[in-house]
Amino acid sequence: MNFIVFAILALLAITAVAIAKLRELWAVIMFTGIYSFLSASWMIILDAPDVAFTEAAVGAGISTVLMLSTMALTGKAEEIPRKKSLVPLFVVIVTGATLVYGTLDMPHFGSPDAPVQVYPDPSFVKRSEADMHGLPNVVTALLASYRGYDTLGETTVVLTAGIAVLLILRRNDEKDEPTQLAGNKTP
Amino acid sequence: MTFESIAGLYNYWVVIFLMMTGFYIVLARKNLIKSVIGLNIFQTSVFLLYITMGKVEHGTAPIVPPAIAEQQSHASHGVGENAHAAIEHADEAHEVVHEVAHEVALTVADHGGELAHASTEIIYSNPLPSVLMLTAIVVGIATTALALALVVRIREDYGTVDEELILELDRGE
Amino acid sequence: MIDAIFAHLPILLIVLPLMAAPCCVLVGNGRAAYLLALVVSFAAFACSVAMLGETLQHHVVRYELGNWSPPYGIEYRVDIFSGFVMAFVSGIGAIVLVYAPLSVRDEIPASKHYLFYATYLLCMTGLLGMCVTGDLFNVFVFLEISSLSSYALISLGRTRRAPLAAFQYLILGSIGATFILIGIGLLYQMTGTLNMADIAARVPHEHGPRTVLVAFAFLTVGLCVKMAVFPLHTWLPNAYTYAPSVVTCFIAATATKVSVYAFVRLIFGIITPGFAFDVLPLDTELMLFSLVGIFIASIAAIYQNNVKRLLAYSSVAQIGYMLLGISMATPTGLSAGIVHMFNHALIKGGLFMVAGCFALRLGSVQLSDWKGAGRTMPLTAIAWAIGGLALIGVPMTAGFISKWLLLTSAFETGRWPIAVLMLVSSLLAVVYVWKVVETLFFSEPSEAAAGATEAPLRMLIPTYLLIGATLLFGVWTPYSAGIARQAAIVLLGGTP
Repeated sequence: MNFIVFAILALLAITAVAIAKLRELWAVIMFTGIYSFLSASWMIILDAPDVAFTEAAVGAGISTVLMLSTMALTGKAEEIPRKKSLVPLFVVIVTGATLVYGTLDMPHFGSPDAPVQVYPDPSFVKRSEADMHGLPNVVTALLASYRGYDTLGETTVVLTAGIAVLLILRRNDEKDEPTQLAGNKTP
Repeated sequence: MTFESIAGLYNYWVVIFLMMTGFYIVLARKNLIKSVIGLNIFQTSVFLLYITMGKVEHGTAPIVPPAIAEQQSHASHGVGENAHAAIEHADEAHEVVHEVAHEVALTVADHGGELAHASTEIIYSNPLPSVLMLTAIVVGIATTALALALVVRIREDYGTVDEELILELDRGE
Repeated sequence: MIDAIFAHLPILLIVLPLMAAPCCVLVGNGRAAYLLALVVSFAAFACSVAMLGETLQHHVVRYELGNWSPPYGIEYRVDIFSGFVMAFVSGIGAIVLVYAPLSVRDEIPASKHYLFYATYLLCMTGLLGMCVTGDLFNVFVFLEISSLSSYALISLGRTRRAPLAAFQYLILGSIGATFILIGIGLLYQMTGTLNMADIAARVPHEHGPRTVLVAFAFLTVGLCVKMAVFPLHTWLPNAYTYAPSVVTCFIAATATKVSVYAFVRLIFGIITPGFAFDVLPLDTELMLFSLVGIFIASIAAIYQNNVKRLLAYSSVAQIGYMLLGISMATPTGLSAGIVHMFNHALIKGGLFMVAGCFALRLGSVQLSDWKGAGRTMPLTAIAWAIGGLALIGVPMTAGFISKWLLLTSAFETGRWPIAVLMLVSSLLAVVYVWKVVETLFFSEPSEAAAGATEAPLRMLIPTYLLIGATLLFGVWTPYSAGIARQAAIVLLGGTP
């Protein structure tokens, strides 16, 4: 198992760096899909199959499709090589160092007495066994009950994005054509 | 810095490296689509951070095996029915209530024992980070969609998706 | 019936605009959508005033969503502070809608009107949701609702720079939101809970402060982007300048204020001032950034020729005053910060409305086109003058109340250099306000201004409502400074 984890972590790091280095947009989008897929695999190992499925479907699927269609609409403009500024690198290194400093007091990976695992007591799994009359998937149970309101918020975010995309992409000049969807547009 | 803490924390460090790579892409890239991609990588890595937190040693995914779940479901239904019965008869006779209540208590104790036995065997990872990240993934894709719509619009207006060229065009106006 | 409504006020406040938004889309007609949005926003305003009344009586109103008790479920928790912020956010949201139709008709193509009002309602939902919730992750979700809708609203501006401004805001805003998400994650890891009150009780002060420290730093940086604190304010001038007038009025008056609200909640409700100001020297850093921000942004405002951009830089400076008050962490200082949120919302909302009136009649917000407009549009120009006086902080205006409280607090804590710097910075405000007044009243009319007529009453009345309110709350303070003081005392752990 450990070997697989190391391999996935290394691949994730390599893919991320490749995305940062590559100039050709098409390749970058493909690598982004791969990155999502690798994350999803690691999530499976980390006992989060629900998130893994969603990440594979949304991150590797929908988002790649969206990016490819945007690229189709905007052209495969490659990045223009320029002299690189050192400021972003500096900001990123400072931020990263801050985060690493923050990990020093963290409970170790997988530790059973981390606050996350011991609080609240009884745990979500036990609570939901009693409350949900034995719904097997606890994540689903939580999503629809205790954190159901977040799920409503999430749906609202999707609604907002939908309306926003219509608002942004609808043509200004064709006022008499009310149903021009984003997907039908040609550049 | 002991070996133990390195072994316990390296996962987080890898995740931090990934997050920062994404962050770097957002900050350093001038191509608008590439900035959106950087944002994607940044956010996906934050999902990993949360999921890493929820994992517990020797744990398994928070899905209760159907057999145990079924047992549990029977137990709670049984309790529910008996409780209803208790309420219905409450007005009629106190003795009956006592009897029923005793029965209920027994049932609960029985099943509680079974359950306790079952859950000592299985350790579940914390489901809450997964729940939060399901929400965050959807928020992330919504942001991506909106950003890409804006990119299409900008490209229509300026004819390019390169930020510096766009700024030059604006200056020349 | 009434009791049942009162019991569900906190959720009603959110659900009303939330449900009305898809309805607006479904009607698909600009006029109907507008009427629906107008009615709903006034209903939300009524709810939040009732809510504020409740909190003044009971101090804290709690509402468990779906009856799941915290820390398992999500809890709404409204105290005087959140009640106050919600009341003025929804109030200004409603007044801006009264003002909106003519300006919207002028600046946004008719086929998009119903979508515009739906997005406006969603933005309001997000902002109110951030105020009402007692759950940290829920704050993130509602922050995203308000952010996504404001990106879309900003992109509707007439010039091609508007979508670009929206995109730049989206990138910076999403970085901010992701920082907030990281911060929430680290706090969750150290406490095992997302409920704010629960985190405050469980956050480890001795063991493991490094992680908490970093969590706090990330939340602060994330919120600073949203608040547009100098030097993270770069998205704001473009966004405010190129957005449609109505959108600028609404966002300038409410969005940054709600982020300030979240920041105050973070310091006083989650991390506790003891940790933020004693363990961390946050107060001195915050003060430094606020003062530098006030000066640089005020000076930048002086050099602007676009009035909306001038007001935008002034907004960056005013956020500095709010943070200055908050960083003093005394009842007077904190109430100065809180009341300035309210006063500045009125002033900036009013001034951007004036800019919208001129934009409608003159077709431009460039100072050169505004020349001499005071002669042809006297009422609008006088509104500017009064709002400008309030912005400077002249006695008898709302701006004076906040600055007076800030000065008092600076003297109370023996920080007299800050008091001096504040007075100097007010002089800078005099310069940029006067620059516009001079153009309006004392120069030869430009071509556009000579032929202009007074702004329509439907826009002038809401404008004067806000501008008049700045005068009203300059002399009559029980419902502004009074409530702010109670809110500050509750935040600092006392009983009013």
